[in-house]
Amino acid sequence: MAREPASIAVPIDSARYPGEVSPPGPDWVIPVIGEARPRTAAGPWAWVVAHRDPIAKALAVAAFLAVWQASGAFLNSIFVSTPSATAAALASLVGNGQLPGAFLRSLLEMAGGLCAACVIGIGVGLLMGRVRLVERALEPLVAFGNATPSIALLPVMEVWFGIDTAARVAFITVICTWPLLVNTYAGVRAVRGRYTDVGVAFGLSGWRQTWQVYLPGTMPFIFVGLRIALAVGAVGMILGGQEIGQAGLGGLTANFGSYSETADLVATIVTTTALAMLLFAAFRQLQAWRFPWIAATSAGRRRSK
Amino acid sequence: MTDDQKAALRPGPAATQTIESAAGSDTVLEYVDICKAFPGAGRTVVALNHVSFPVRRGEFISLVGPSGCGKTTLLRITDGLDHPDQGSVLLEGTPLSGVSQDMAYVFQEINLLPWRSVTKNIELGLEARGVPKQERRDRAMEMLQMVGLSSVADVPPYTLSGGMQQRVGVARAVAVRPKVLLMDEPFGQLDNFTREALQVDIAELWARLGMTIVFVTHDVDEAIFLSDRIALFQPDPGRLTEIVNVDLPRPRTDYDVRADRRAIELRSYIVSQLRTRGGAGS
Repeated sequence: MAREPASIAVPIDSARYPGEVSPPGPDWVIPVIGEARPRTAAGPWAWVVAHRDPIAKALAVAAFLAVWQASGAFLNSIFVSTPSATAAALASLVGNGQLPGAFLRSLLEMAGGLCAACVIGIGVGLLMGRVRLVERALEPLVAFGNATPSIALLPVMEVWFGIDTAARVAFITVICTWPLLVNTYAGVRAVRGRYTDVGVAFGLSGWRQTWQVYLPGTMPFIFVGLRIALAVGAVGMILGGQEIGQAGLGGLTANFGSYSETADLVATIVTTTALAMLLFAAFRQLQAWRFPWIAATSAGRRRSK
Repeated sequence: MTDDQKAALRPGPAATQTIESAAGSDTVLEYVDICKAFPGAGRTVVALNHVSFPVRRGEFISLVGPSGCGKTTLLRITDGLDHPDQGSVLLEGTPLSGVSQDMAYVFQEINLLPWRSVTKNIELGLEARGVPKQERRDRAMEMLQMVGLSSVADVPPYTLSGGMQQRVGVARAVAVRPKVLLMDEPFGQLDNFTREALQVDIAELWARLGMTIVFVTHDVDEAIFLSDRIALFQPDPGRLTEIVNVDLPRPRTDYDVRADRRAIELRSYIVSQLRTRGGAGS
């Protein structure tokens, strides 16, 4: 039981205030209303309650797979492939090397396109944010390019780069550049003020300002741009594979689709999803590893501190 | 109060190497007829209207006034973050253009760069001045020791409390050994207890290093506790109306300044001056 604090009457300094009478001493105490009791859960359900989130997730996935598997009993296997058939197709496609080869090819094309898009998008975005003249000059062009549906440029890529790897990588590059460029540019403008005042006040030169204040300050926006680029880039990766010379995972989906090999098709789609999720996870890890401050300060920044 | 009296009241040496080399002059910084207006939609705000006054070497001067009286603008102009429409700032008789390496700034929002460790933040101004790596590190550590934060040298700044962050902000500014330290409401975002602790720290730091400090605040008690002189500003248009000498003995950390009779008189006077002259506009 905690001790109850007594209320104190501060005595009047009779030297400074002669003739004043001090108020009477402690005449009341603050009652302690109650003590916090730890909340405990017991009984047979305690374990379930403690792990309710993962249990709910596992049950939802299991239910989905069960319904899918059951549907195979009523529907033609051309329209719906069951999980078991998909698993078998996946095993055989991995076994004969078709899927790993396509996976690797698509991954490399995606990586190449994304890297090129980073260089162009972040570079131009940073330049636009830092040099007024470049900003003024490129603003209409960027607005125009960003509004153009990149999918429409697929035939252009074929005309320019032929119907092989170069065209597919260029297509992914074109698609991914815009979200990176626009986000970097927006980021640089958002950084102006607060952090850049620090750079100015401490006498950083223009280059140091760019490298040590603007670029790191823009990283939260660049990561947003990267995630968008990854999502649209994955679309470009599959579409390019289907339309430009049928290669990689996109090529496999087009191929299996045209022969109604539904189990193989679904196995390929699942692999594509896995590839995209892998890349998303890689970016998340990169951010957590190299830029832990982004997550740590994003909540605080909204409080303007 | 004469300078001799002032020197007698101040603890420790009145000047160190940081502030020597003057041309025999008592004035380190001088504002000459500064004007600055911010054109806005419908109405142009005159932030500073013909402001002139000198800042003496080694003194602690506060700029006090209600919001919109131009005190922060004046501080930003001093450091080259803003440019005056008219008039000039003289540092030791030479007009300043752009950012001066002889000044350092402590921000109200603290503004430590979150992607740099505490030490790296303190090294920022030293990097810009081309100080070699080892010396940068040594000086940063020395500064951290001075503000009592040696134990957090390599942690990211956002893990620190607000008060600790602003100590780092002060260390970052003092590290460049400025002739004039500019502080823009540095304790405005801190809670009362932390603010009072930092006020004591900055008073001791100022006495120890003999720096000139120009300090912006809207807290009259804070200004009285810290300053040699208090410049009163009024808004609409932003202007300097009066400079009040704070004739309280130093060090003021030894007694309760806020309860001192003379301090209460000064406070009443300043508050009444700020109330009677500006009020109508705001």
